[in-house]
Amino acid sequence: MLFKVKTVNMKTQQLNRSTPTLFDESGENENRQTFKAIVDCNSFYCSCERLFRPDLWNKPVVVLSNNDGCIVSRSDEAKKLGVGMASPYFMERHIIEKNGIAVFSSNYNLYGDMSWRVMETLRSLSASGKVEVYSVDEAFMDLTDIPENELASYAMHIRKTVEQWTGISVSVGVARTKTLAKIANHMAKKNKAATQCVTVLATEEEQHQALRQTRVGSIWGVGRQYATKLENMGIISGWDLLHMSEEWASRQLGGVVGARLIRELKGQPSIEMRAPLDSKKMIATTRMFGDPVADIQSIKEAVATYTSRAAEKLRRQHSAAGYVSVFIVPKNENHNVGFGRGATVSSYARLPAPTSITNELIKPAVHLVEQLFKNGTYYKKAGVMLSGLVPDTSIQANMFLPEAKNAGRKLMDMVDNVNFSMRDDVLKFAASGTDRNWKMRQELRSPRYTSRWEEVYEVK
Amino acid sequence: MDGEIFFGAEGSYRGSKQFSQQDIKTADATGFGAAADDYMERGIDLNEALIRNKPATFFMRMRGDAMTGAGIHNGDMVIVDRSLKAVSGKIVIATFNGEMMIRRLEKTFNKLRLVSGSGKVSPVEVDASCTDFSIWGVVTYVIHQPA
Repeated sequence: MLFKVKTVNMKTQQLNRSTPTLFDESGENENRQTFKAIVDCNSFYCSCERLFRPDLWNKPVVVLSNNDGCIVSRSDEAKKLGVGMASPYFMERHIIEKNGIAVFSSNYNLYGDMSWRVMETLRSLSASGKVEVYSVDEAFMDLTDIPENELASYAMHIRKTVEQWTGISVSVGVARTKTLAKIANHMAKKNKAATQCVTVLATEEEQHQALRQTRVGSIWGVGRQYATKLENMGIISGWDLLHMSEEWASRQLGGVVGARLIRELKGQPSIEMRAPLDSKKMIATTRMFGDPVADIQSIKEAVATYTSRAAEKLRRQHSAAGYVSVFIVPKNENHNVGFGRGATVSSYARLPAPTSITNELIKPAVHLVEQLFKNGTYYKKAGVMLSGLVPDTSIQANMFLPEAKNAGRKLMDMVDNVNFSMRDDVLKFAASGTDRNWKMRQELRSPRYTSRWEEVYEVK
Repeated sequence: MDGEIFFGAEGSYRGSKQFSQQDIKTADATGFGAAADDYMERGIDLNEALIRNKPATFFMRMRGDAMTGAGIHNGDMVIVDRSLKAVSGKIVIATFNGEMMIRRLEKTFNKLRLVSGSGKVSPVEVDASCTDFSIWGVVTYVIHQPA
């Protein structure tokens, strides 16, 4: 209640302030209080798995990748037991079994829905309305015009509301720039008991303190290669890096990006909030196979299925694609060669005219598989990418278009409607095959509690 | 969207509703259909009536007869809102000893009780020191199919 009143005040302040900007465009940015927050879910996949499982609260939990291959999320309890991040499941199996750690296959339907809930909660909490979804479990928020002395309580309010509404615990880092907010978030996560998952770096003193205890390698935007390079130069902490000039950074750390990094560390906002893309520039669907596949028919079926998925996404955003690309990744027997990955084989086709119709996309995609496939090679992954997107004109009934084209689009609407209401691809194209031996392995998947009527939680 | 007053609910409620799936239909007529389109409405949408705060709303299925006395039968769908405050007398989803259960919450000055809606299941008493207890959400509606 108290907060609502404050929000209203803040909005009026914002209105009052915006008038002078018309005349004084120059120095305005520097005088203005701008803070940014990054809200990051704690062990997101594990938190989702625990939501309907109170028996696992405060117990060790891990989630496996797409194909049950690697560990992609660990609860704090599992981290404490020494389970490694991104390490193969079979290597951690002994720790997992010895300690009775709960193991889940990825349940992307659940994570996707929970992610939407978290982001939607943030949007309804944001006074400025500016929320940039950065990844499935992270978002930047613009805290412009929130008074400095209220940042901590506002951040705490965000944390508590998200937890209350969605059951997902989050950490909030607040600072003048995105890069510093990331560092703040890192600090909040590292010591949850002391910070209560909220860290604000408001003053210069606090910023410097934080940079002293941050290694360059864990700064947002500093990759592993640059981290090694910096450490070899004796630049170990963020504090060391802060004292380098922008010219030096632009020479040593990749030009504009490097200079921007230095400014961000100094508290001068240089990476702005990005507006959400209202429609994507390209659409891709890619998966690992359950087991490596060596026959062309299975790969064609997989690619046809991915194309249907991608085409569905395409139609959902009312676009049509001009290009189809297909890639297939051979399973590499020899991991010492190259970058440890089999060379990806890819090719693309330009379509005669942009289209959103599944069968018009499947045909060239399957044709590309025929070009790329080599007999006797095992493949572990395939993907389809639709690009060259333009607005789909066939959506509006267009009398200048041939009748047949419109019929195709109507059919697609019907396919989408049936699949949307029935789920699980009731209607699909024959090219997708009927039994999928290449399908993802997900042996330990939890119910899709929030997206399927048949799988909702049963309460006693 | 914000602060809209919900029918029969406790005053204004700040939450989020976003029903992007529901677009306005068109008559799609070939002749003078456009006139009919002027009067096309969104149609009655159950989500609008039953969900106050979408990101905080979850569905669950009732199993067993613990709440038949409260009108919740085996197989019914219950709608749970996590953003509502659990007050005494409300039907809630609670967690106790690592289990989820649906019960009526009864608060006295120093005690909490989880009461079933039938005589068969004995009530659970929770004292203030209990750490293994929490309220998961508040039940707002029950969808029941008559026999």
